[in-house]
Amino acid sequence: MSGEPQPQTNHIARWRIALVLGGFVLLLMLVQGRLVMLHTVKQPFLYEQGEQRTVRHEVQPAMRGSIVDRHGRPLAVSTPVVTLWLNPQQVQAEQLPQLARALDLSPAKLAQRVAMALEKEREFMYLRRQMAPAQAQKILDLGMAGVYGDDAFRRFYPAAEVTAHLLGIVNVDGKGQEGLEMAYDDYLTGRDGAREVVKDLYGNVVKQVQVTQVPEPGRDLQLTMDLRLQYIAYRELKAAVAAHHAKAGAAVLLDARNGDVLALVNQPSYNPNNRATLKPEHMRNRAIADLIEPGSTMKPFTVAAALQSGRYRASSEIDTSPGFIRVKHKAIRDHRNYGVLDITGIITKSSNVGVVKLAHDLGAESMWSFLADAGVGESTVLGFPGEALGRLPYPEQLDDLRLATVSYGYGLSVTPLQLAQAYTTFTEHGCRLPVHLVMPERRDQVCKRVMSADIARQVIDMMETVTSARGTGRRARVAGYRVGGKTGTAHKVGKSGYEDSQYTAVFAGVAPVSNPELVLVVFVDEPQGQEYYGGEVAAPIFSRIMAQALRLRQVPPDEQNPDWLKNLRVAEGPA
Amino acid sequence: MRLPAVALLLWLMVLVTALAQVVSSHHHRQWLVVWQQQDALRLQLLQEQTRLVLEKSTLTAHGRIDRLAREQLNMTDPQQIQVLTP
Repeated sequence: MSGEPQPQTNHIARWRIALVLGGFVLLLMLVQGRLVMLHTVKQPFLYEQGEQRTVRHEVQPAMRGSIVDRHGRPLAVSTPVVTLWLNPQQVQAEQLPQLARALDLSPAKLAQRVAMALEKEREFMYLRRQMAPAQAQKILDLGMAGVYGDDAFRRFYPAAEVTAHLLGIVNVDGKGQEGLEMAYDDYLTGRDGAREVVKDLYGNVVKQVQVTQVPEPGRDLQLTMDLRLQYIAYRELKAAVAAHHAKAGAAVLLDARNGDVLALVNQPSYNPNNRATLKPEHMRNRAIADLIEPGSTMKPFTVAAALQSGRYRASSEIDTSPGFIRVKHKAIRDHRNYGVLDITGIITKSSNVGVVKLAHDLGAESMWSFLADAGVGESTVLGFPGEALGRLPYPEQLDDLRLATVSYGYGLSVTPLQLAQAYTTFTEHGCRLPVHLVMPERRDQVCKRVMSADIARQVIDMMETVTSARGTGRRARVAGYRVGGKTGTAHKVGKSGYEDSQYTAVFAGVAPVSNPELVLVVFVDEPQGQEYYGGEVAAPIFSRIMAQALRLRQVPPDEQNPDWLKNLRVAEGPA
Repeated sequence: MRLPAVALLLWLMVLVTALAQVVSSHHHRQWLVVWQQQDALRLQLLQEQTRLVLEKSTLTAHGRIDRLAREQLNMTDPQQIQVLTP
């Protein structure tokens, strides 16, 4: 009983064990097979899915370079801000009112926006862009699911409307839209950094996998502009444009020695820090983008061309009587009959008849080539967006009448900046300088020879008579300094040719005459009221800007024996 | 006798390397926290610096200096420029 059944039990047991074990081994092999399959065949797919769920590619925005003036004062700077956004899929509806309160938004509106986004299955929605980091951190500290903050930068312009036209603006994504911000966008923009990180459910970075790109901040841009001079020019121009109820105005101040743009201002202007009140017509950089007919400010060039031809000298006499000259069907008039004038007198009195006679004697070809050399109708090559070229008719187009009008500045067009650049010809001994807005890395002075140094000197001396008691630009005078310049008043072109009662007033000049350091062009568009002549509207602005600019740049006064000096008593002292 | 000893050694080595990995990833995480804090600090300082630069430029604006000089220091433009040539 006890011995017999046992082997049988054992036999059954062994069979069963084998079965069970076999079953287990089979299961094990199944699991192993699956494992091998997952690790080999399906590995790429699974790896990618895993990465997608945990690894995030983060962009670290690079800071945009600053723009500074010639002395390093900031004109445009970027500051870090935080952009708050929301993932509508993750946010909890009952937290929305609290979030809205914290952001000072209407809870109903926010709920509506989230509902809309949910409907379209969006996973991204801006809450607020460009927040101050401290403020944004408060919201992020509430720890709400689905609320995220991204680093970004915002641009500030400390000088606001004073430098607005020159600098331009950037859009909300930090891309240059206007002015130098646009022209030098690549230079100013850095390279955004990129890195791969592993994030947990709450968006915290738990592991940095790799840095694919270290952020490179943008480079700083230094301008040749002097902020103090820019302020002065802007203030004076603004006041004058307001006083004359003019439509617009512009002023360009150049360093006469190297063509640096020291100030470039426009009216009307805008505040680039506040986009809400932005008007497109205020954003026009008139000094660079607007073409004006220079009017009489071109006469010094006609006279210089006459002197350069060798047929005239400063003392040569021209008979301008009877005060008008008939060219084809048109009579070109002076203010009154000036009689016989020498070449200097033509500039002093701004005689149209005089320059027309000179131009006709010179001929279209030589007038054209002289003005073309002076840079009329040629781009100033600043790379500034919207820069106008100017226009100078070809010699074939210059019949007697057009040649006559060109001689006194009609029928050709320049920008105020081009006019200022052309005037550097006189200050730089007959050589026209290239103009700079951005501080050049090295200065190789390649100037274009337009006239001889001697003639340039003579023309400056002639222009000084314009600001004398008998000249048209008396009001451009600056106490203590000798100033030379030329007034210009041009009728504006309307629908039916030149308008009778709409003018542009221009004054272009240099100071101090003995050794010119500054060139200034002032342009006022459509001054209203009794005064509209260049000598009445633009010359006083010229005087005020120039007086302060000369003082700020510590230019020694060069006026010899002025009236007040006779009364000045210098105390006797040890020699 | 020999085999179990090798197995034990290998097992210990696996244990040690596993622990080492835990330690290193812990370190990594801690450095990451430090890095994040420093980066936040960098942005904060950058913001502070921009603010100060802007403030300085506002305070030293030409118009303001001009006004203060006139109003508080009673300064005026030189009325007569005196040139004394030797």
